Amino acid sequence: MRIPAVAEALARWLAMLGGLALVAVTGLTVTSIAGRALTRQGLGPIPGDFELVEALTAFAVFAFLPWCQLRRGHATVDVFTRALPERANRAIDLAAELLMTLVVVLIAWRLWHGMWDKLRYHETTFILQFPLWWSFAAAFAAAAAGVLVSFCVVALRLRELLAVADDAAHDAGGDAPGDAGGAP
Amino acid sequence: MSNLELGLWSFPVLLGLIFLRIPIGLSMLSCGLVGTWLVMGTTAPILSRLKVETYSTFSSYSLSIVPLFLLMGQFASLGGMSQALFRAANAFLGHRRGGVAMSAIGACAGFGAICGSSLATAATMAQVALPELRRYGYSGALATGTLAAGGTLGVLIPPSVVLVIYAILAEQNVAKLFVAAFVPGVLAAVGYMVAISLYVRLYPESAGSSPRQPWRERLAALAEVWPVAAVFLAVVGGIYAGWFTPTEGAAVGAAGTGLIALANGGLTRRTLIEAILATATSTAMIFFIVFGAAIYNSFLALSQLPAEAAAFITGQGFSPFAVLAGILIFYLVLGCFMDSLSMILLTVPIFFPLVGGLDFGMGAEDFAIWFGILVLVVVEVGLITPPVGMNLFVINSMAKDIPILATYRGVTPFVLSDIVRTVILVAFPALSLFMVKWLY
Amino acid sequence: SAQEVTLRLHQFLPAQANVPTNLLYPWADRVEAQSGGRIRIERYPAMQLGGTPPQLIDQAQDGTVDIVWTLPGYTPGRFPTTEVFELPFMMSNAEAASKAYWDMFEKHMKDGEFADVHILATWVHGPGVIHSSRPVETLQDLRGMKLRAPSRIINTLLGELGATPVGMPVPAVTEALSRGVIDGAVIPWEVAPSVKVEELVSHHTEFAGGEALYTATFVLAMNKARYESLPEELRKIIDDNSGREVSGLFGRTQEHYDGPARQLAVDRGNTIVELDADEVAAWKAASRPVIDGWIAEMNGRGLDGQALVDEARELIAKYTAQQ
Ligand code: NA
Ligand code: NA
Repeated sequence: MRIPAVAEALARWLAMLGGLALVAVTGLTVTSIAGRALTRQGLGPIPGDFELVEALTAFAVFAFLPWCQLRRGHATVDVFTRALPERANRAIDLAAELLMTLVVVLIAWRLWHGMWDKLRYHETTFILQFPLWWSFAAAFAAAAAGVLVSFCVVALRLRELLAVADDAAHDAGGDAPGDAGGAP
Repeated sequence: MSNLELGLWSFPVLLGLIFLRIPIGLSMLSCGLVGTWLVMGTTAPILSRLKVETYSTFSSYSLSIVPLFLLMGQFASLGGMSQALFRAANAFLGHRRGGVAMSAIGACAGFGAICGSSLATAATMAQVALPELRRYGYSGALATGTLAAGGTLGVLIPPSVVLVIYAILAEQNVAKLFVAAFVPGVLAAVGYMVAISLYVRLYPESAGSSPRQPWRERLAALAEVWPVAAVFLAVVGGIYAGWFTPTEGAAVGAAGTGLIALANGGLTRRTLIEAILATATSTAMIFFIVFGAAIYNSFLALSQLPAEAAAFITGQGFSPFAVLAGILIFYLVLGCFMDSLSMILLTVPIFFPLVGGLDFGMGAEDFAIWFGILVLVVVEVGLITPPVGMNLFVINSMAKDIPILATYRGVTPFVLSDIVRTVILVAFPALSLFMVKWLY
Repeated sequence: SAQEVTLRLHQFLPAQANVPTNLLYPWADRVEAQSGGRIRIERYPAMQLGGTPPQLIDQAQDGTVDIVWTLPGYTPGRFPTTEVFELPFMMSNAEAASKAYWDMFEKHMKDGEFADVHILATWVHGPGVIHSSRPVETLQDLRGMKLRAPSRIINTLLGELGATPVGMPVPAVTEALSRGVIDGAVIPWEVAPSVKVEELVSHHTEFAGGEALYTATFVLAMNKARYESLPEELRKIIDDNSGREVSGLFGRTQEHYDGPARQLAVDRGNTIVELDADEVAAWKAASRPVIDGWIAEMNGRGLDGQALVDEARELIAKYTAQQ
């Protein structure tokens, strides 16, 4: 498979897993509310519902980040770069993606150490008392996949920059094509 | 370079990065990381913080309301509820100039009554209302400006995440603050509607209109809104009756809208995937900004810039009202660059004890409530003031074809309306306090 | 002489809360004064330097900040020995329990679970109280009551006693109480006004007979390398402001502020029930499985759980008698 296809498939499946976690949060919370409302009938809330919501949400966010990056979903201000030529914009794209990759690698690397800390210190949650490193491990898996996606996106932006450079070489002296770039 | 200078220099550097089209969250995060490194003189502390800080930010219970309300918004659109809502709004208001934008404001206010977050309100209502506004011929500027401003109602109308945080920092009663915020919140919605009517009078070409509809069709359109009303009542009623917290209410809303969309055939395998992917993009964007802001703000605190600025403002021997005005203006300026929750977290612990010691001719608790409402109002203005307004970015990123400059232009009347309202709230503390006095 | 050392003190409460105002900042002022201005302590309340309260201990350990005030209970499982003081019906006097805590810290925890930080003081808060919207006069009244639990141990205890423990972050408590999502919260008096508990509920349950339902443990922790890098004279000033006596003072001071907070509830006309000796005995019997469970858990981690409980009780008794 070509790079964009691999990155797209990986990010999409990750986002779907995150979506599953969100649906789980929804179902869990609704069930817990119902159980809590029927406390007098001998039912009760799902034990540790709050901390399950927290763990699942964290996983979902980590799983959503690569998709957002791939789809240029992060908020930007494009007022001042509009005036720049196409090639400068593609160069900025590449620079931004390199910086993002640096941060994504940093986050995954530190999260890995965070996970080992939680394991080493035997930290658990309050109510269910499940080991905290489980949640960290799930988040790390998503963050690690995010690193792969991020490298692919850099390759993608590099290719776009080179394509513009080629075009410029072909029609020397002419304006760069007005293609807005956009999502793959 | 002293720490204070580092803090000062970070403003132009941050703006430079943002204006170079580096993602906002990434810019704040980079400035915060490098700044912290420079202040501490070593990378070790910031590296060790990063071991847990991403996880603990992303797992925040109070933020988990965001993806749930985004999902609810997606399901609401899939279930045809947004169209129904706007058909009804259009039936009643569409024949006026700016009427659909006004009903978008009304819908934001209604949504604000169940949602505590500005960004969630802006994002959710934009998903529902942006296509409709465009379809009815509204200019990109007015459409995005309306929704960015409308989004602030998510926090201005209680419940409100910002007020919860303020209450904790200032050790005040959240319930009383919620009550106090009610009248100013309604004033905000009314003020926005006035802003729309003035704007469309000045620029008649920026808003389309539809023919006046007979009452029979209005009622028919209204009847189509029942699923929205049902979910809304379940969520609002449930929260106010004490069946669940706002975050749990968001889950109930997502489940309810999901089931309705499933029942009327709007939710299929394909649309579910689309809904999840759209939720994923917005959620990741918002959380990444929150994370970047958290890192950047802790760097600012470390540089002692906010503390020095606060000391400077309060140390000039001015009258209490001049100090208050100075602080509110400081928030307005800071709000051009920072997000509201971070600003509150950064400054209230410094400002509140300082201004709390001044004499405004009212009791300590009254002052705390009044000051909380004023701070709430000015930090929310920050969400829609260019160049860095989180709501502006959220809305603009959902409307790829509209230049951010148009959004900046479109939001101007709403910012002016906000400033007028702030002056009114400063001049008449009773507007913020009488509901509290009446109910307690 | 000129200021040489700047220490950053980070904690989670706003500056005007009891603990910063009456414990931490006076302590910092003393250190600054005794150093003749050579030490300056920068105070960062309300998590201003970032992170969440459970991260504070890591921040001290890794040197993100120099000194933190935190609860070992924020990181369940990481500081197991501290939990001996959080077991039900262990203490009644915060000063005595704080001194006992320091002795146990030096003997069992200094080179064990706290080996990676330099601990300056260890203390506990005053007796924990049940604050609830419905009266709790007997064990039966707890049945089905949704209570926010402060710690891992109390969470288990409430479940054992028939209540429904709800785990939620502290900021959520006020709203959850006002909306009826929970029926009450278990916290000491001193903390109650900061979450407006006395305004939101009208019943409070205290325990007679010299032993409180529970307490929670605190530490004032310093980065180890930072401490060791101080010049000897400055390290001595820190040492002079550390240890058993400071811990006892912190415990006593914090318990002292239970009084005004309790008075707020009295002034509002709230009902304060003190369970009599018979009822407390029933609660103690019912809570026995929690203590046994904790002992078994400690034994599983290679510690002698029963010996720790016995030692803590003896030390508390000793220091209580000394007062
Ligand atoms: Na709201
Ligand atoms: Na702004």
